[in-house]
Amino acid sequence: MTTDAMATTATTTGAATSTAREASLQPFGKPSRPWWLAVSALSLIVLAGIAGWVVQLKGGMGVAGYNDHAFWAIYIADVITFIGVSYGGAVVSAILRLTGATWRAPLTRLAEGTAVVTVLIGAALIVPHIGNPIRLWELVTRPNLSAPVFWDFVAVMTYTFGSIVFFALPLVPDMAVLGQEPGQRLGRRRTTLYARVSRGWVGAPRQRRVMAGALGLVSVMIIPLAVSVHSVLSWAFASTGRPWWHESIWAPQFVVAALYSGVALVILVLAGFRRGYHLEGLITPRHFVRLGFIMATFAATYLYLTFADILPGAYVGEPGTATVFTDLLVGRLALWFWMFAIIGGLLPLLLVALPWTRNVTGMVVASCLVLPMMWLKRVLLVVGPANYDTITRTFGTYHFTWVPIAITLAATAAVPLLLMLLFRAVPLLSIDEIEEIEQMQELSDLDKHARARPQTLASEPAPDEARLVGASSKANRVAGATGVLLIVALLGMLGVGTANPAQAATPQAASWSASARTSTNAPKITIAGVEAGGLMELSATLLDPDGRPLFGAEVDFFFSTTEFGTPARLVPLGSATTDKTGIARLTLGGDADHLYRPTVKGPQEFVATYTPAGAQPVTSSTTVNVTAARSAYHAAPAKPLAGVGNVLVLALFAIVAAIWLTLIAQIWRVRRVCRGVQQASSS
Amino acid sequence: MQPPTSHPKVPPGLPPDMAREVSKVLNRRNLLGTLGVAAAGGALTMVSYRDDAQAATTPKKAAPPKGAKTAGHAWCMVIDLRTCDGCRGCTTACQKRHGLRDEQTWIKVYEMPDSTGGTFHMPRPCMMCEDAPCMYICPVGANIRTDDGLVLVDTQACIGSRACMAACPYEARYFNWEDPLPQKRMPMPTSPQMPVPEKGVVGKCVFCADRLPQGELPACVSACPMGVLYIGDLVTDIAVNGIGETVVLSEFLRANDAVRYKEELGTNPRVYYILGHGQNLGGAA
Repeated sequence: MTTDAMATTATTTGAATSTAREASLQPFGKPSRPWWLAVSALSLIVLAGIAGWVVQLKGGMGVAGYNDHAFWAIYIADVITFIGVSYGGAVVSAILRLTGATWRAPLTRLAEGTAVVTVLIGAALIVPHIGNPIRLWELVTRPNLSAPVFWDFVAVMTYTFGSIVFFALPLVPDMAVLGQEPGQRLGRRRTTLYARVSRGWVGAPRQRRVMAGALGLVSVMIIPLAVSVHSVLSWAFASTGRPWWHESIWAPQFVVAALYSGVALVILVLAGFRRGYHLEGLITPRHFVRLGFIMATFAATYLYLTFADILPGAYVGEPGTATVFTDLLVGRLALWFWMFAIIGGLLPLLLVALPWTRNVTGMVVASCLVLPMMWLKRVLLVVGPANYDTITRTFGTYHFTWVPIAITLAATAAVPLLLMLLFRAVPLLSIDEIEEIEQMQELSDLDKHARARPQTLASEPAPDEARLVGASSKANRVAGATGVLLIVALLGMLGVGTANPAQAATPQAASWSASARTSTNAPKITIAGVEAGGLMELSATLLDPDGRPLFGAEVDFFFSTTEFGTPARLVPLGSATTDKTGIARLTLGGDADHLYRPTVKGPQEFVATYTPAGAQPVTSSTTVNVTAARSAYHAAPAKPLAGVGNVLVLALFAIVAAIWLTLIAQIWRVRRVCRGVQQASSS
Repeated sequence: MQPPTSHPKVPPGLPPDMAREVSKVLNRRNLLGTLGVAAAGGALTMVSYRDDAQAATTPKKAAPPKGAKTAGHAWCMVIDLRTCDGCRGCTTACQKRHGLRDEQTWIKVYEMPDSTGGTFHMPRPCMMCEDAPCMYICPVGANIRTDDGLVLVDTQACIGSRACMAACPYEARYFNWEDPLPQKRMPMPTSPQMPVPEKGVVGKCVFCADRLPQGELPACVSACPMGVLYIGDLVTDIAVNGIGETVVLSEFLRANDAVRYKEELGTNPRVYYILGHGQNLGGAA
């Protein structure tokens, strides 16, 4: 078996460089039987997850246990978890690089590879989370720029690109080194790939300077990028009004949670590859203990933030927040929450703190506890508030089905699977970095200020604001065939008779339409309306059957509207009592007691009604051309800070553009310096 | 950079000046330039989308109309809790009209505790908020506001992210988690005003927006035997219910001390509740 042969050559002669080269070449040999077994088992799990997703596509998200009181659940928790663990790899590598921690050298490649693989899986998990994945492209074609989920998408894309650059740049010198390996050890495809990637790299001082500068800059950038991803992910929750989600502490808490679980995954990946490829000579127990200390720091911080998150809400006891926290701490979810707190928080802390568990096994056990427990915490913080009904203050339920479990397991299995495949193609260790650090340590009087300074960010002009009037795509309602329309029309004619039974039975309308049929011995009423000075003066003259004015009778005034269908409805305006001349007057618009003012211009029908005791009401109507009308509607005042959003969006676009351009510029820089030296050496 | 005339992509046999023209089109710098222009065009399109989205989400569009002609309507609902007996006729009528499942209660009648230890019934349609949280949060802007102030879902754009369900403080949104029920009506093309249920998109009360312009009442309003539900127009200041009562809206609201649910959230809902029997709608969240 090739791996065993390699392991015997990996001696502790101090020549870590040759050891690293040998170790990196190791995975390129003929795969061992355990490798095949692992890859097939993991692939089967991934296939089962894909099968689950197909079932969900056919049956709808209901088959995954979702319902209106569990509208977000396991998938979004998976997304947070996987993108979160990615952060660990990237930031651990970047921070160690920036602080010049020399012990990082054997870890960086594995950590950065883990970052790339997990962020891709995390981004892919958005697909089962979405109810209509075929329309995901709309995030590009018709984004709503005020939506946190859109900015999630932007942040994840930018971070993915950044982490790929961060992973790929250091590959150039390594591939150059390995490309010079004699014989057939690389294989034909890898030789071609390595030659292409590292073309022109000879390790000249200028090339090293440019590479160090580019890597330094990307390391600086990857940290805020990762912070932005987890902040925006948390704001997808915190930007809603739900209790416990709507918390200002969520963004930092998400960031720390990501770091915490990310370091745990780095430990597990290191342990796995160390064992699988016998890297004990390079990755030592000290590495695990140091990473364990970092993990413990985050464990303590995360426990602290969890406490700080819950205390104020539980203390004040506002109904919503208090109900959700009761559910979490002593109710339905209590068992799971305390399980997280003890197994996922305190126990790992203890494993690092106690000297006799502070070893490789202890750290691996701690990581194995942290990862599932941090996933559990994410499930709790998603499901709890999503279950909560903000009207009844009760909880719905979410039940796992096999579909989301299969998909989650598939995503989990995809991490080792993709890493194993990835490191069949690219070197497992950062050979160049190991070499460089070894040289640095040998030359103790090396000038430590030789590191290239990070370059200033390339400035990018903000995109001009331009209004392109997009044709609004209204639903094409005339799509129905003429035949269907004809049938509908026929049925509609049949249905007209029963269309508006309630309105047809309107008593007032009935009485009004009966106004013409007043009997001869009933009082006579006539209404007149005059618009003067913006006011509408309505006057009704009431005469008894003998033609004498009726005094002290109450006349009701209406206007008729067909806004809510025919027959017209009478809107009561108020009533007035007749004076000695038999006239009742009502002024619209000026009188505080009568709030109604004409709201529509044009001819408007006004009605006056008098109901004598024990007799049919008498009615008269008149049409007045209304010229002084004003809408009764008053818009609500604009939200405070509503205008800030415009500036923010422009600033964000400028920043994102600058980040992408800077990252691309770094690739271009390295390529240019490779080409330049190549030309110089060939001429 | 290769000299343009020696570009390999130029077809042989062309006159030299024409070959130069072709190669001009094909040379790398031009290609990059074209890509750059395309990218800038894309960015501009995004900016214009932003304008659309913001025009849709900022209350500017709902500013006081200049004249009655442009005003159109501002639909609202008044719910008189004093007479609601919880028969749920509104819910049934709505579900029948829109082909909904039993659990999809676009207008839901809640049984709420009152201040005397009893319960009262509270119908809850979509509140048609003027500052609707769902409109801000939708990642693709699938929520639209009509000129009449109705918040509707463009189900042909909805990607099913359910962000709106998280954001709605009134729990007014319902997702199509599985295939819809077989529809017992004539197949019609879907529209925001009259959405046809479809798997994987969200749905909610639309105030029967397809009926209102025809002067017809929403299904729930005409189905309510107690006249609890009024459909109204804030512009013309009229509200009517299903049993033939017509009121001057502003005066009706004022005289009965109408309140809006969760007023303190600043969503400016367009649904007004009339209390009066110990009901208590206080308390957000």
